[in-house]
Amino acid sequence: MLLDISELPDGHELTADLVIVGAGAAGITIALDLIGSGLSVLVLESGGPEEEPATQNLYAGSVVDARLHSPPDRYRQRRYGGTTSIWGGRCTPFDPIDFAARDYAPAGGWPITRADVEPFYPRANALCEAGEFAYTSGETFGSAARPIVRGFASADFSSDRLERFSCPTNFASRYGHKLSASDNVQVVTHANLTQIVLDESGRRVTHLALGSLGGKRLTVRGSRYVLATGGLETARLLLANRDRHARGIGNDHDVVGRYYMCHLAGVIGNIRFSCAPGAIFRGYQVSPEGIYCRQRFTLEEAAQRRERIGNFVARLHHPHITDPRHRNAVLSLLYLAKPLIPYEYAVRLHGQDAGSFGKWLRHLANVVTDPFDAVGFAWHMLRDRKLAERKFPSIIINSKANLYSVDFHAEQYPNASSRVTLEDTPDALGMPRIRIDWRYLPEDVHTVRRALEILARDFAASGIGRLEYDPEQVETEMTRFGAYGGHHIGTARMGSDPRSSVVDADCRVHGLENLFVAGSAVFATSSQANPTLTVVALALRLAGHLRRIEAAQ
Amino acid sequence: MTAGTLLVYGVGSPLGRRMLQMLGSGAQIRAVAADSLAPDALRAAVRDAQVVVNAAMGAPQVILGAAERLAEAMRGGPAERPLVHVSSMSVYGEATGVCDIASPAVGTLSAYAAAHVAAEAIARSFPQTVVLRPGVEYGPGCEAWSGRIARWLEARRIGDLGAGGDGYCNLVFIDDLVRTVLATAQAPASAGRIFNVAMRDPPTWNGYLIAYGVALGAIPVRRMARRRRAIETKLLAPPLKVAELTLGRVPFIGRQLPPAIPPSFLRLCAQEIRLDVRATEEALGLAWTPIAEGLRAAAASYRSKPLRG
Repeated sequence: MLLDISELPDGHELTADLVIVGAGAAGITIALDLIGSGLSVLVLESGGPEEEPATQNLYAGSVVDARLHSPPDRYRQRRYGGTTSIWGGRCTPFDPIDFAARDYAPAGGWPITRADVEPFYPRANALCEAGEFAYTSGETFGSAARPIVRGFASADFSSDRLERFSCPTNFASRYGHKLSASDNVQVVTHANLTQIVLDESGRRVTHLALGSLGGKRLTVRGSRYVLATGGLETARLLLANRDRHARGIGNDHDVVGRYYMCHLAGVIGNIRFSCAPGAIFRGYQVSPEGIYCRQRFTLEEAAQRRERIGNFVARLHHPHITDPRHRNAVLSLLYLAKPLIPYEYAVRLHGQDAGSFGKWLRHLANVVTDPFDAVGFAWHMLRDRKLAERKFPSIIINSKANLYSVDFHAEQYPNASSRVTLEDTPDALGMPRIRIDWRYLPEDVHTVRRALEILARDFAASGIGRLEYDPEQVETEMTRFGAYGGHHIGTARMGSDPRSSVVDADCRVHGLENLFVAGSAVFATSSQANPTLTVVALALRLAGHLRRIEAAQ
Repeated sequence: MTAGTLLVYGVGSPLGRRMLQMLGSGAQIRAVAADSLAPDALRAAVRDAQVVVNAAMGAPQVILGAAERLAEAMRGGPAERPLVHVSSMSVYGEATGVCDIASPAVGTLSAYAAAHVAAEAIARSFPQTVVLRPGVEYGPGCEAWSGRIARWLEARRIGDLGAGGDGYCNLVFIDDLVRTVLATAQAPASAGRIFNVAMRDPPTWNGYLIAYGVALGAIPVRRMARRRRAIETKLLAPPLKVAELTLGRVPFIGRQLPPAIPPSFLRLCAQEIRLDVRATEEALGLAWTPIAEGLRAAAASYRSKPLRG
């Protein structure tokens, strides 16, 4: 059932076996999995079906260094479906090494292994509408698999691994009808959590206080509670509730909000291939079941361990859009279309380009001199992206000059000094706003620097081309746009030791009997992988756990 | 069952055809076509048969007509003559959730479903009747759910339907349905009972359409946007249906006509009804053909004869 808080009387009390706060990828997944379970499930969503400025503003806060992190109300959506309403759809699982404790990586690993998550990945993949859980080109395409660069040989980099793309699926649009039709799941929109009330022992949640921007106040009582509010909001909610625990819930050891990770991403260098243009394939192949897939260069686990560096992937990338000297009509068209491109994507497409009338004219000249290329591209984007339900994932432009750059995406190590804290300034509901102090370590720079060295070495050794870049610019490029937007990880990390973690292996907050966390906040490491697929897999795992403990009682 | 004759009425249906194929020359059980028999001959055939099977499918009047003809022929015959009446899951109407045989029909019944309800009532006036309610019959010779869908998939007119394909596709492989008919005929205790017939863990319609598209080699299977689905059912379906009715029997042309995608098909794809087959499995001891195997057979059959007729 779906209803809005405005339909309920002021002071109303709702009850359920399980209360889920947040209807994004994690919250909706848990609710979906519990349809027909016999448990009564209540899902509380702050927003409505569309973005609303006043609700979105509840996410506003501050960042310590605006060059390093986007504003807190960007790259996440406070609405039914959460950030799945704007995500890019890239799916790839965490690697086994991401869960392991590595003696060279700070802050340890996870209390679980990839094998513990493995059973949930196929269904997570299906929920993300990313097709079969098959992440190598060999198993997906067989003999039709196309290498990224024919002739590339490396013992340290695999080019067989895939990323698969969701539609991208908005979990509310796609699965809301199932929740609405369910007998045991109730979704309440415009319901904001304003207080988590604990019993006198401070070990058990007794109820939640809800408020709406319209002034409604409600109470919710459940047997168990799940915070599924994303990596930033989860920390905020735990820190903001200090009635029983002076530092916030689950924060006796000052861990909540710390170890905040994103990913380290950037575009660097130039690589001019000596092979024929046809020997390079950097586009998407469509799997038999209709999923856009793309290969990437993946740093093998053995190489990571030998080099004592983090996880790392790279893709071939087109030249910088902002520089009209590329003389490419499509890239110039994208430059000119900047006002039409959503902020979340425009940042990395256009960078920090100041722009000028002269530059604008030069880009216009590129378009005018090769109009067929531009028109063809515009038609492709209209048909295959704008109008399609399964959208062409990104802009792929092949270089007639065989000239590319390298787009990398690397693990950020957990770092206790990278953290989310609270401001004194309250939002419209009286909740303190967040303050983000994202930081990276010298080891993170080393990961990217060393991985690029190996990649450049192996390109050269393969005799297919030469990757040229300034090693001194690695740190600049990996932080040019700051932390990779939208990947908010680790602020309530999973672990066995409450002194260095917030939730246990079952996602239960240490010291609390009936409070759980779902989402990327619990990730103990960040991997190279985009988080959503693993968020969904872990949510399914948590749903199974909740079902079991309910059955045991 | 010991040696004897299985009298099959409705040999034009996928089940009837398949029964004749599988049992036509069998040493112990012989399936005999009954549709074209005159009333007296039909009465005599019923009297001589060990089991009577009503496998008639198609338009409402075909379904009702078959039930009435058989009932007429059976009246006055041996009271213990078993009748296996093959009905349809459509009798549950717009029901959702898990449906067992006691589940009531929900919503307004289509003419097709109403015909099945009426035909069941006629058949059940005989105490030895067993009613089978199959789900979605697929496999060799199943035009509605294999042949027609294969052509849609090949033409990329259907595929992954998104939220519109979340309904359960209660598949039953046609050979499994034949085996179910035989099992009921061999189990005296099944007389008077009703059985749902479908595989135990059915895929969603999306799962079926995607897996069948892959089995056919109609790849990549496309995502069908809501807009495209509306064009098919609201704009293209009416003229295609008219063309089918007017030109369908014209040599060469009729076989080439693209089949319409009716709105009822897309409604079924979204209907989250799941047949409860536990009682069927327990009573009849059946095992269902794995879907991969069934799809391979359906695809191979389609490849050997892709057009209707």
